[in-house]
Amino acid sequence: MADAHAPTRTAAVPAPTRPPRRIAAWLAQERVFRLVPFVLVEGLFLLLLAIPFGLTVYISLLKWRASRPFEQAHFEGLGNYADVLADAEFWWALGRTFYFAAVAVSLELLIGFVLAMLVARTVRGTRVYTTVFLVPMMVVPVVVGYNFSMIYVDSGPLNQLVAPVAALLGFDPRIRWLSHPIAAQWAIILADVWQWTSLTFLIFLSGFSALPRPLVNAARVMGASPWQIFWRVQLPLLKPVIVIAVVVRSMEALKIFDQSVLLTFGGPGNSTQTVAFYLWRQVWQFNKFSFGAAASMLLLVIFAALIYAGIYLLVRQRSVALAEGRG
Amino acid sequence: MARIVLRGLVKTFGRITAVAGVDLEIGDGEFVVLVGPSGCGKTTTLNMLSGLDTPTSGEVVIGDRVVNELEPGERDLGMVFQDLALFPHLTVFENIAFGLRVKRVPDAAVRARVREAAEAMRIAPLLDKRPAQCSGGEAQRVALARTIVTKPAVFLMDEPLSSLDAKLRVEMRTELKRLHRSLGATFVYVTHDQAEAMTMADRIVVMDRGRVQQVGPPLSVYSDPANRFVAGFFGVPAMNFVDGEVGAGGQFQAPGITLELGARAPVPGSRVALGVRPEHVRLAGDGAGWPAAVSLLEPLGDETLVFLDYGGPASVVAKVDAEAKVAVGDRRRFTFRPDRVVFFDGATGERALR
Amino acid sequence: MTVRRRLAPWGRHAALVAWAALVLFPIFWMISTSFKDAWEWVAWPPHWLPHEPTLHNYRQVFTFTELGRELSRSATDQVFNIWPALRDSVVICSLASLASLLLGTFLAYAVSRFGVGGKNFRYAILTIRMVPPIVIAIPILMYYAIMIPHTTTVLFGARLSLFDTYLGLGLLYTVTTLPFVIWMMLSFIDDVPYTLEHAARLMGAGRVYTIRRVVLPLVASGMVVTFLFIFILNWSEFLLALTLTHPNVTTLPVLLNKFQSAVEGRLYGPQAAIGTVITVPVVVLGILIQKHLVKGFSFGMIRQ
Repeated sequence: MADAHAPTRTAAVPAPTRPPRRIAAWLAQERVFRLVPFVLVEGLFLLLLAIPFGLTVYISLLKWRASRPFEQAHFEGLGNYADVLADAEFWWALGRTFYFAAVAVSLELLIGFVLAMLVARTVRGTRVYTTVFLVPMMVVPVVVGYNFSMIYVDSGPLNQLVAPVAALLGFDPRIRWLSHPIAAQWAIILADVWQWTSLTFLIFLSGFSALPRPLVNAARVMGASPWQIFWRVQLPLLKPVIVIAVVVRSMEALKIFDQSVLLTFGGPGNSTQTVAFYLWRQVWQFNKFSFGAAASMLLLVIFAALIYAGIYLLVRQRSVALAEGRG
Repeated sequence: MARIVLRGLVKTFGRITAVAGVDLEIGDGEFVVLVGPSGCGKTTTLNMLSGLDTPTSGEVVIGDRVVNELEPGERDLGMVFQDLALFPHLTVFENIAFGLRVKRVPDAAVRARVREAAEAMRIAPLLDKRPAQCSGGEAQRVALARTIVTKPAVFLMDEPLSSLDAKLRVEMRTELKRLHRSLGATFVYVTHDQAEAMTMADRIVVMDRGRVQQVGPPLSVYSDPANRFVAGFFGVPAMNFVDGEVGAGGQFQAPGITLELGARAPVPGSRVALGVRPEHVRLAGDGAGWPAAVSLLEPLGDETLVFLDYGGPASVVAKVDAEAKVAVGDRRRFTFRPDRVVFFDGATGERALR
Repeated sequence: MTVRRRLAPWGRHAALVAWAALVLFPIFWMISTSFKDAWEWVAWPPHWLPHEPTLHNYRQVFTFTELGRELSRSATDQVFNIWPALRDSVVICSLASLASLLLGTFLAYAVSRFGVGGKNFRYAILTIRMVPPIVIAIPILMYYAIMIPHTTTVLFGARLSLFDTYLGLGLLYTVTTLPFVIWMMLSFIDDVPYTLEHAARLMGAGRVYTIRRVVLPLVASGMVVTFLFIFILNWSEFLLALTLTHPNVTTLPVLLNKFQSAVEGRLYGPQAAIGTVITVPVVVLGILIQKHLVKGFSFGMIRQ
């Protein structure tokens, strides 16, 4: 046992040759660390988001087309908003968007849930399955659109699979899926499902793996059947996860744009025109700037309402979880 | 000289007062323990001493200089944290060497001193490992080696043993005392565990609600508490308290218990509380004492706790020899050792009737 | 019950494999098409694997010069040449991701250690992401193309436009990924106990020294994951790029789209080649970080 230290107080470290550092300097430095990043980031947000936003509000109150120079625009008040609200196409696009989102998200939730449940139960190959299932999420959405357009083409593999049935029923299997409004809509929906089931799968998988084993074991000891355990123990525990999945996915689904452009360009006719696409078209193709600005604002209001609803649900879910002693 | 003086230390966070005025003098080479329940301000006081928190008012003096303005790194301190704060991405060697590297001590000197410290703490074989690969006790000693390598004048410790299991805790207590003796430095140790305070301290500083309740050597804090809080904090099982008042005849009166107060100059009609430790409660053999029924027995092995229902709101607990023949339901009489009874003011809890 | 027990795993695996096949099929098809010569693109019945695999599509796509006439009809040669778009995508995505990472990490540190921005900052910052990009695309378009040139002409006499520039799109990419960076780095920095920094400070280390030697090494892997994550996001981004750039600046997704609308007959081969080039690196990167994604998701979501 080394008791080598005599209790001397001779200099433990070489005597400092510089003046001792003061707390005041530390606190001053702390102020820099606090403020600088905050100012920078908020500044960027201000410059790049807040100002354009204000600008759009302003433009939405003017009457202006890009074909004429800015100076010729005149104040119009809320006329543009009225125009947007009166445009049937706007409402159709909106309704369609909700329809797409609802169908797509429902499918994604269902399939993702089932997949997660299956994967959570398998012992072998979990990593492989998970890796494969997550791939679609990482594919660039534009490429997804393109891929599916290849598959839906009249001489594509989808028709090849349908061929036997078509032969039986006696019609040409080379269906041009994207020319039928309803089929085109389903094309978009399925493309979305293909890509985003990965996300719901991921969310549910995390949820399943976070399920506390002791609870399931306790239920088994009490003689519950697997079905009962599922319904009465696991499902209620998964409720917050389900809510998260629904909210997160829904909000994203409402923004469908890429596939709309790439697969069908809104067609045939307007049947696959989502609201994002509609908006883009007004400005980009038709150059109706003020109209587009007003539509943007309206869309923002609608989305803001939905976002608040979503946040409210999420937060309430969280406080419920906290109250129950979890999370 | 590493004398420490805390003068009028106050710390407020917004509207919360964590430390409401602490005055303390710690001598060079003393082992002082700050003890108290959670939230009593002991850690905040330690943080003000180290410099991690700045006092709202008051002075911190280390050696002979006021160090309020000085960075923690300039105060010649060593500190061990509750979670040890070992850098997970560095080896044990680099962990210990950190303080030296900050001061740009040349490599050869670093190696020599780290080795010295590691050998003193008996962890030399661990030098190439990472903290995650060390056991609880080993990690503790790494943290200690890290503090001793810079040879500070003052060692601060914030509940360093609370994450260890019971057996390890006892071992480390001895280790720390040994270290203190061999280094001769001043140790300021914070804990909420009264047993730790009792076994390790030269002097105990009892804190509650931001104030110092009592300062003194362990035995005096134990047998001569300054108020009800201190009395109840130390000792397992806790001291028995009986609330009552001073009767017309100058005696202590409570349901079921009457005690002559003799020369203590009581004021008739005043409310006082009686305090007596379980080891000083006697089961009377003959007819003396107050009657009670034994409601519960807790055998501890060498002693037995006897719970006596005497008619008051709570039982009186007596600690008796394990050989004593007592059974639940027995009717017995009990007394107190007269020189070990203390009294507290019924309203303020301060010590009364000395 | 025993029969069911024995069949159940097989059933499960069957279902999982079926979905895996569905998942991989479009990608497989694309890669396969990229190696097909023109006559195989729309052959019936479709060729699952190219009967005569060729690198022609890739050669087309990767040339620097104008291509032979036999395939191009109304396309300009820029549409074929992937190099400018590749360069644009790489430059913008790398720089924007880097800028976002640095700025966001800096801020995340401030939020974690000093509580900058208030208790709910981390949630508030995510609300920015919730706005549909189309809603900001149009304002930004007008901002970049009209308002800023207008202002700079008035103030400085020089017309500076951010439309169709690296800076314009890059800034926007930085801003839109900042919330993610802050969110992710916050969780990583929170995982580094503050007492480590206290210990370092007590041993005489300054804050910069501590961040450099203590905090950064511990969040380094987190930074890599975050960078890859936002890089993938920027790489895939279509809407903003479509609205705000072209023809000077063209990112890969926009290029792919140009194939669709610019050419009469769809040139599936070159499209597939470009698609493969866009997708394969991302999928590979994604697989690398997927372990972290899963972990991050479970902690982030559930612990939330």
